[in-house]
Amino acid sequence: MSRLVDSIRNLSQKEDVIINAICLVMALLFFGLAAGNLKWAGDFLTTDALFVVVVFGMLGTVLLISPVLWLYKHGYFAKLVGSHIDTEPVEMVPVHFEGTTKLFLSILGWLLGLTLIEVLLAYKQVPIVLMLTILIGLSLIKAALIIAYFMHLKFERLSLVLSLIPALVICICLFFIFFPDSARSKNYRYGATPATEQGQKAEP
Amino acid sequence: MSTEAHAEHLVGTDWEGGALPYRVGHKKLGMWLFIVSDALTFTALLMGYSYVRASSEQWPEPFHFYPSIIFSTVMTLCLLASSFTMVMAVKASARKDRQGTRRWILATMLGGLLFLGLHITEWKHLIDEGLTPKTLPAEWLREWPNATYLFGSTFFAITGLHMFHVLTGVIYLGVIALRVRRMSHEDVEIGGLYWHFVDLVWMFVFPMIYLLSVFRGK
Repeated sequence: MSRLVDSIRNLSQKEDVIINAICLVMALLFFGLAAGNLKWAGDFLTTDALFVVVVFGMLGTVLLISPVLWLYKHGYFAKLVGSHIDTEPVEMVPVHFEGTTKLFLSILGWLLGLTLIEVLLAYKQVPIVLMLTILIGLSLIKAALIIAYFMHLKFERLSLVLSLIPALVICICLFFIFFPDSARSKNYRYGATPATEQGQKAEP
Repeated sequence: MSTEAHAEHLVGTDWEGGALPYRVGHKKLGMWLFIVSDALTFTALLMGYSYVRASSEQWPEPFHFYPSIIFSTVMTLCLLASSFTMVMAVKASARKDRQGTRRWILATMLGGLLFLGLHITEWKHLIDEGLTPKTLPAEWLREWPNATYLFGSTFFAITGLHMFHVLTGVIYLGVIALRVRRMSHEDVEIGGLYWHFVDLVWMFVFPMIYLLSVFRGK
């Protein structure tokens, strides 16, 4: 039995090395593409060029996480960080968290306050682009508060947070690939007025 | 239970794929994965809404501060309050206080039903005015002559899907409240996760659909 356990452990270690090597190669590939884009794009400060750099950089970073954690686990950074990592088996009990009523009440207070600020912006009729920016910012703060405290993700293990949040954020960022088109597509419509006259026509 | 113990014996540490690498039960992990995928559904809808709004020549901004915005703010407060009572229900279930759990969950359901009632009232007003997924009210067309009916399509699609989630959540919580004796602490917590997610989605729908369409006087 113990020989079986040992062989499975050996196999899983080999698998780790292979998977981490693949991750590392792909991460370097994406970083290479991001760096290459900086060089080849010509005009760097365009929506498309920035998008490519950000997306490739993010994909590279995500792929880098696993190899770095693996190296950290096996003590390659021990001299740098100077900490000792425990490799002994740990007890597998679910994390339990019970916050105080006071904490939840204060979170509720924050959420209500931020909502009232948003409504106040609508009352004051702030210009629409500024309003959109502030609203999205405040909504992200509110979402973070709800996820962290009400869904108590803040008190779960880091591994769960790392599995759920970065993937979601990256997928949402990928949606933005459509947006440069939304402003252009007005001019492609049948019977549309050319872009130069658009502004004058919409004014009155 | 026995399989977990066996797996624990077979693979020792987390890095080798421990039995519970996330330290949460499989049901809770499943709910989290569902929430992530559902979040992407709503993101896609809101992105689609933003896209058609940005690419339209004109977009109606029909919600007067009073009564429409005040009305939807009250709806938001209902959802926030129900989210808080849900937290209290989870807390009560951690103390094994079944009666308290049931009472807090019923309060949560009340908040959800209030939200649904107000939302349906609002839909009814808009439909009576003449807003449908394919048409705009004639009065709005006088105000915004180049507007398309996409306002109605996106409005009913996004708020309708959210309303459906709230309805599902109320039924889900009802089942938990009915069978609270057989539910473990984790089951109540998972119901809470779903309810908070519904609240979370509204935190984006409310500003993007309502507040950004507030009536701006000429």
